[in-house]
Amino acid sequence: MTTVAIAATASRPRRKRLPVLDVIAFGAVVVLLAMAVAGPWLAPHDPYQVRLDRALLSPSGDHLLGTDGLGRDVFSRILVGARSSIFAALLAVSGAALIGIVVAMVATIGPRWLDDVVMRLCDITLSLPVMVMALGVAVALGPSLHSAIVAMIVAWWPGFARLARAEMRTVLTAPYVEAATVLGASRARVMTRHVLPNSLDGVYVQATLEIGGATLIMAGLSFVGAGAQPPSAEWGAMVENGSRYLSSAWWISTFPGLMITLTALAFALAGDALRNRSHPDSTLG
Amino acid sequence: MTPKDLALFVVRRLLLLATTLLGIVTIVFLMIKAIPGDEAQAAAGLTASPEQVEAVRRRLGLDDSVLQQYVGYLGRLLHGDLGNSIFTFRPVASDLSGLIPYTIELVVLAMLINVSVGVPAGMLAAARHRSRVDDSVRLLAIFCGALPTFWLAMIGQAVIGRQLGLTPISGVATIGLDVPRRTGFLTLDSLLAGNVVAFNDALAHLVLPAAVLSIPFMSFVIRVVRSSMITALEADHVTAARAKGASERTVLVRHGLRNAIAPVSTLLGLQIGWMMGGAVLVETVFNRPGFGSYLTQAVAHKDTFAVLGMVLVVGVIVTFVGLVVDLVQLVADPRVRLLEARRA
Repeated sequence: MTTVAIAATASRPRRKRLPVLDVIAFGAVVVLLAMAVAGPWLAPHDPYQVRLDRALLSPSGDHLLGTDGLGRDVFSRILVGARSSIFAALLAVSGAALIGIVVAMVATIGPRWLDDVVMRLCDITLSLPVMVMALGVAVALGPSLHSAIVAMIVAWWPGFARLARAEMRTVLTAPYVEAATVLGASRARVMTRHVLPNSLDGVYVQATLEIGGATLIMAGLSFVGAGAQPPSAEWGAMVENGSRYLSSAWWISTFPGLMITLTALAFALAGDALRNRSHPDSTLG
Repeated sequence: MTPKDLALFVVRRLLLLATTLLGIVTIVFLMIKAIPGDEAQAAAGLTASPEQVEAVRRRLGLDDSVLQQYVGYLGRLLHGDLGNSIFTFRPVASDLSGLIPYTIELVVLAMLINVSVGVPAGMLAAARHRSRVDDSVRLLAIFCGALPTFWLAMIGQAVIGRQLGLTPISGVATIGLDVPRRTGFLTLDSLLAGNVVAFNDALAHLVLPAAVLSIPFMSFVIRVVRSSMITALEADHVTAARAKGASERTVLVRHGLRNAIAPVSTLLGLQIGWMMGGAVLVETVFNRPGFGSYLTQAVAHKDTFAVLGMVLVVGVIVTFVGLVVDLVQLVADPRVRLLEARRA
C-alpha cells in the first residue's frame, strides 16, 4: 500500500511528533479495510442466524464478544458489518468528492454568473446540518442504507466543491498554466491536463479526514432508523439493537460502538498525517 | 464604520438571507416532490380513507402544475403552515413551537460547556506549542471528534446515570415537580416560579445530555483556537509586544485570543446548527422531548411533512444564527469592519 510507504519514509526531523502514531493509524486503516473486504469469510458464526437458546450469552471462548438478544454472534456481526459501515462511508465521501470536483470545474470554466449560482447553492446546502438534511432525504427516499448514502452525498458535496474551487482558482494563476495557455492549449485542455491534476491534493486529504466523520453520521442515521434496516449488521444499527439490553448485556452495544470510534479515529489520524505531509506548515492539527 | 455603512451591511446581509431562505424552501419543496408514490397519501397518512386523501389533494392543490404548487407552498409557508403531522394529527408548526425551548436549553448548555472547555484547552495547547502538552491536547481533540454521540450518550447514561446514580437517567424533569409554564423553558420557568428545587432538578436532567452533546464539538473548537492562536502568536507585533515587556498572559489574551475571535465565532455559529443535528441523537437516547426526538419519531412513522418542516425550521434558525455571527464579528474585529467599510 502506498499509504504505508508514505508513513514509513516520512520521518522528517523537523516534525517533533512521533511518526509511530501515523504508522499505527495507517495500519488500522488497512486492517479495517481488510475487514470490510474479508469480513464475511472470517466470521466464525453465521451473523444472521437466530438462536434464541443462545441469546444474551456473555463473551466467552465460543462467542468472543457474546451474543445479542436473538442469539446472534456479536463478533461475527461486527466482522460482517464492517462492510456496510465502512464501505457506506467510503462511497458517501467519494461520491460527494467526485460531484464536488465536477461542480468546481464547471464553476471555474463557466461564466461568472454560473460560478455565483453554484457557490450560493453550496452556501444554502451547507446551512442545513448534515444530520438533519440526511434525515430529510432518507425519509423522502424511504429509509435504507442506500438512501443514507445518497443523503450524505447530497449534504456533503458543497464542502468539496468549495475546497476544489478554491484550489483550482489558485492553480489557475500559476506560471505553468499561463505558459500552457500561451502555447495555445484550449481551455478544456488546460483545465483537464494542468489545473485538475494539480488541485486535487487538498481534496484527497479532506476526503480521508471526512471518512471518519461520515462513519459517525452513517452510524447515527442507522441508529435512529433512517439508515441500514434490521437484520443488517451495520454497526450503528447494532448499537441501537443492543440499547435495550445495556444494563444486562452491555457487550451488544459496547463493541460495535468501539468499532465505530476506532474507525473514525483511524481515518481522522490518517487524514491528519496526510495533511501534515502535504502541508507541513499547517497548524490546524 | 459609519452608521450608514452599518445599515448598508445589514441590508446586504438581509438580502443574502432572503435568497438563502428561498433556496432552503426550494430544496425542501423538491424533496417533497422526490417522495416516491402518492404525495397526498403521504400527507394524509397511510391509514387515511380515500375521501380524506382526496380532501388533502384538493387542499394542497396537487392536481395543479408544479409551478402553481410551488407558489401555493410558499403561500402556506408565509402563513406558518408547515403541513400536518400524520402521527400527532396536529399542525407541524404548533408541534415544533412547543418543543423548541427544550432543544434550545440543551444546545445553549452544550454550547457553554463546549466554549468553557474548548477555548482554554486550545489556548493551553497554543501557549505550549510543540510540547508534550500541545501533543496531548491535539490527540485528545481528535479522539473527542471520533466518538459517536449516540453511543457516548448510551454509555454515559448507563455508567453515570444508572451505575453511579450521579444524574437522572432520562427525561427533562422529575414527576411531581411541576412549575407554571410561561416561557416553555423549564429552567427559566422554575426560576420565575422561585422554585429552586425544580430549577436544580431541570438542570440535573440537562447536564449529562449537554455534556455528551458538546464533546464532539469541542474537538473543532480546540483545534481552531489552537491553530489561529499559533498563527497570531508568530506575528511580528507579538514579538514586539514581548520585547516591550508585555506579560505572557497579556500576549496570550490580548494578541492571541483576540485574533482567534473571528474564526472561532464563525465556527461556533456553524456549530449551533450542527448541534441541532446532534440533538437528534442525544434527545433520542435520553428520552427528552425536543426537535431531535420529534424528528426521529417522525422518521420512524414516515411522517414526511413533520420531517421536512423540521429541515426547514432548522435551516431558518441556522441562517439567522449566521447573521448574528456576522454582526458579532463586525463589533469584535476591526479588520472585518474595515473590510465591510471598503465594500460599502
